[in-house]
Amino acid sequence: MSILLLSIGFGLITASVIAIAGVGLSLQFGVTNFVNFAYGDFMTLGMYLTLILGTALGLSVYAALPIVIVCTGLAGVLVNRLVLDSFVRKGANPIILLISTIGVSLIIQSGLLAVWGAQFQKFSLGPSQPLHLGPFIFTPRQLSILGLAVVAMVVIHVLLRYTRLGKAMRAMSDRRTLARVVGINTTWLTDWTWFISTAMAGLAGVVLAINIASFTPSTGFGFLLVIFAAVIVGGIGKPYGAMLGALIIGVITSVAASYMDSAYKDAVAFGVLILVLLVRPQGIFASRGRG
Amino acid sequence: MLEVRDVHKRFGGNKAVDGCSFTVEAQSTVGLIGPNGAGKTTTVNLISGRLPVDRGEIVFNGKPVQNLPMWRVARRGLTRTFQISRELRALTVMENMLIASQLQRYEGLVQTLFQLAAIRAAEKEVVRRAYELLELFQLTRLANQYAGNLSGGQKRLLELARSLMADPEMLILDEPLAGVNPTTARNIAEYIETMRSRGITLLIIEHNLTMVERLCERVIVMAEGSVLAEGNMKEIRENPKVVDAYLGTVV
Amino acid sequence: MAAISYYASVLAIFACIYSIVTLGLNIQWGFSGILNFGVYAFVAIGAYTYALFTLGKPIPGASQTYILGLHLPFVVGLAAAAAAGGIVAWVLGAVALRRLRSDYLAITTIAFSQILWLIAGNETWLANGWDGVSGVPQPFNGLLKLSFNDYNFFFLGLSLVILVLVVWLAQLLLRAPFGRILRAVREDELVVESFGRNIASLKLRAFIIGAVLASIGGAMLAAYVGAFNPSAFLAGETFFVWAALLIGGSGNNWGAILGAVLVPVVFTEGTRFLPNIPSNPQLIEAFRYVIIGLLLILTLKFRPQGIIPERSDRFERAARRNRRLRSTPVPVDDAGEPPSA
Repeated sequence: MSILLLSIGFGLITASVIAIAGVGLSLQFGVTNFVNFAYGDFMTLGMYLTLILGTALGLSVYAALPIVIVCTGLAGVLVNRLVLDSFVRKGANPIILLISTIGVSLIIQSGLLAVWGAQFQKFSLGPSQPLHLGPFIFTPRQLSILGLAVVAMVVIHVLLRYTRLGKAMRAMSDRRTLARVVGINTTWLTDWTWFISTAMAGLAGVVLAINIASFTPSTGFGFLLVIFAAVIVGGIGKPYGAMLGALIIGVITSVAASYMDSAYKDAVAFGVLILVLLVRPQGIFASRGRG
Repeated sequence: MLEVRDVHKRFGGNKAVDGCSFTVEAQSTVGLIGPNGAGKTTTVNLISGRLPVDRGEIVFNGKPVQNLPMWRVARRGLTRTFQISRELRALTVMENMLIASQLQRYEGLVQTLFQLAAIRAAEKEVVRRAYELLELFQLTRLANQYAGNLSGGQKRLLELARSLMADPEMLILDEPLAGVNPTTARNIAEYIETMRSRGITLLIIEHNLTMVERLCERVIVMAEGSVLAEGNMKEIRENPKVVDAYLGTVV
Repeated sequence: MAAISYYASVLAIFACIYSIVTLGLNIQWGFSGILNFGVYAFVAIGAYTYALFTLGKPIPGASQTYILGLHLPFVVGLAAAAAAGGIVAWVLGAVALRRLRSDYLAITTIAFSQILWLIAGNETWLANGWDGVSGVPQPFNGLLKLSFNDYNFFFLGLSLVILVLVVWLAQLLLRAPFGRILRAVREDELVVESFGRNIASLKLRAFIIGAVLASIGGAMLAAYVGAFNPSAFLAGETFFVWAALLIGGSGNNWGAILGAVLVPVVFTEGTRFLPNIPSNPQLIEAFRYVIIGLLLILTLKFRPQGIIPERSDRFERAARRNRRLRSTPVPVDDAGEPPSA
């Protein structure tokens, strides 16, 4: 029983990472209506940026966070403006957009590969003593991940409910054609959506790197399917759904890992993903099926 | 030939079809009219198999067809056109016609590999028939043009020619005259009369009531998801409920 | 001189193999509009099946463990690879193609590919896990016993023969009613269905054929290299096939071949002038990926139909240009453009 609780505990941490990433991806899809296959690579970008700031400026991982978040956010806006926006304006097929994001993904990954090579990198973090909290065992580092996730969720929630930007995002996501007609400034909305989305990716990347200890240029991309699993379970385009989806996927994979070969931990997520896509593509929580 | 029995269809909070029932006799031409939102196109979608019914039955040629996939319904001899021309742009006019023909058994992989000669022979016959129809609609010179390059009126004609190519027993035309100029409309009306003379059963959704009067022996009026009135055009015109439904617009 | 021609023949062999795989993807995407991002999973299935059918019996206690090991000849191995790819495609397609819209199908095929990769790597008893299988016998060399150089040319000849057969098949399908109806499905599924075609069945057939071709390519790969392991089919590999197809020109077989020749050639030759930095051996390889990525995006932006466009594209664009040049106004009865696919 205690193994179960322990693995649920780990699952919560994983879920935190996935939640941050998933919410960003969901927000972006909700507004732009195409899947960004380069999303994982913005996560990786965050990881390597933290590395640079650590070695060049001696900043600790946590101190560098705000800078990393802003930088990855700006990178997202840049990528959108340079590459994707012109496709969107021409009214390109979402499939063409999807494939171009793959091109972007390839470029980011290879760029990182060119500079740093394929060896595993680590953040220079000291050892972290595990704390016993009831039936759970967490290190302070893991708790910080949980904390960051909670903060991020609250920020997004406030954004969506109380700001003009958030309302525009929700409008665009729920009733796209109507939103366009009403005259929401799509440039402003798209820029900010990309900023927030990739900023979340950057944060998720750092947090992921803290959790799994080492990373390579392809780590983020490899994580992408797991994020998809969470986002689709929760209903693509629904940030709150993504949070719940993250919880489900995080806990399920963690519990499964304790009972089976942990190498297949991700395979469980992929299996859930395929299952949900086949059975209920609009997600578990969608009220009106908008597949 | 076609019987719609107490069919219901709901979309979320909106009851699009609410207990709709009517029949279409074989070889007759029936018009389906009604204000926008009456549920005409939804009913056609239910009949053709594009949507499943919530409740009710649709019987075509004595067999139930409700909830069957569209392709099964089509193979039984019921073809429909669409409100907005759906020509296959990247295919030529001739290819568009060939798609419509009932050549399914030649589209299998095994057949393509091992029965090429038989396929070629069958195609010759189908191409000949296609040219006949194109001739009828005066589209012959466009046979090798890409359908995307046709003018709007020509696309309409292609849609009609294509639907005949499928050799249907019954044809449902969804607003064949929508958005065409009066000359083209007259042409299309003539072609529809030709179809009538070939013995095809026709169900025509239309807003152009002059044409409906000219072409249809019987008219069914739908409003708010069910049949409001039936009869010939004169009876319909004098029906107070119908006048009411159209809010006094010219009938 | 001999060195250059050897090098050229190696490139040519890889171009042939790549072409076969790309032609397979073309049938799925170019003809039928199926977004398969797990192409390389089928290459892997073909490669592994070929290896497992042609390798000798696994020796207990030796360095590799694997199942089968039937020591059958080349042709049987090839057929088995094709069959394996076809069967897996049948199962996957029957389940996934029916319901999934394009981007979800893309994600599903990637997920499937990843699951396969994990199984191949972790289940050591299956095909020697992460180390993969090696020592796959060279086709026909038991009989011919050629020298190293000569065998290379022989294999090139063999690859060309297979390629020609594949191209003949692809052209046949394209021109037949089957190809026509697939193109129609790609244009507008609804119309095709309204004329009595079972869309799911058609797409499934296209999916299976494409997968069979990819598996044949995989078998040839394993036969030539003599080995195969999971690192050979990382997710990135699929995107090279896609890049090849999109850059070369999808929807027609010649574009597929052009792309398949171009991408590996650019890949290896395009960075010839860059110095090899010993401290970072990855640099050259990484630059190659960057070039491919850039090429892909540029192609999509400026020439989305690829270098060799589909026949209809050429005529359609020319006709549109002509219509605009004619100053007669477009007739008012245009009944509105149909929704884009």
